[in-house]
Amino acid sequence: MIDPKFIGKKYVASDSYDICRTKIKEYAMSVGDANPLYIDRKKAEASEFKRVVAPPTFAVVYGGELAGRLLLDPELKLNLPMLVHGEQDIEFFEVVGVGDEITSTGQIVEIYQKKNLDFISMAVECKNQQGKLVARSKFTFVIRGAK
Amino acid sequence: MKKISEVKVGDEFRLEKQVTKYMPILYAGAGGDFNPIHIDPDFGKLVGLGGNILQGLGTYAFASQACVDWAGSPKALKRLKVRFASPVRPGDTVIVTGKVVEIAGKRVKADIIAVNNKGETVLSNSVAEIELE
Repeated sequence: MIDPKFIGKKYVASDSYDICRTKIKEYAMSVGDANPLYIDRKKAEASEFKRVVAPPTFAVVYGGELAGRLLLDPELKLNLPMLVHGEQDIEFFEVVGVGDEITSTGQIVEIYQKKNLDFISMAVECKNQQGKLVARSKFTFVIRGAK
Repeated sequence: MKKISEVKVGDEFRLEKQVTKYMPILYAGAGGDFNPIHIDPDFGKLVGLGGNILQGLGTYAFASQACVDWAGSPKALKRLKVRFASPVRPGDTVIVTGKVVEIAGKRVKADIIAVNNKGETVLSNSVAEIELE
């Protein structure tokens, strides 16, 4: 059982995540998404977005540092080999693209046990360089073999 | 982008994805999730998963692409909530299906389900909110 006293614990990203064209392309290609808005500079610059933009789910990359910090938080003592991703929920407010600088903050919002599974959820808010909220995520992880 | 007038409740969209042997490794590099359950088949066996499995967020990206391709723009996707029901493995084919269940103003709510070629449901209780023109 993960100690529920950690609900409310906050995490702040160490630095902004600066969005670049090459990383977007690498991400899009890794999941087999060849949308020209993500991988073709000329077509993207000629589009309404005027720049290469990121697929919506790139939010897990620019906000991902905090998920990593949660999983590796020594205080929580999570049994990582038995951990799998349970649920993912993201609200997308702005299309993010090359040149954006994203700052993320996170907070543990749920810890509970159901049968032999432990659940832990973290909410992450990501804002751009203008302070505008671009994505709000909830990562839920499940740890098998709870005691 | 698709127009809301072109859409009705019950409409379906679909995306099929081949999960290649090295996709979990490519995704690890691109997405930053190097958990050994994704990149090391021996480790996956050791912890009872039967081998390495694709990052859940890889499958999440497939579901997102299904919505974006259907809507015609990445700006259309406003929310995507999924439950990872069972693991996706290298060699699997994943089929994402979206079904329009509600239309309110310009916003469409679609139930999302994904299955693999073995008939296992890999995304369940999943929903997308898409805003059209």
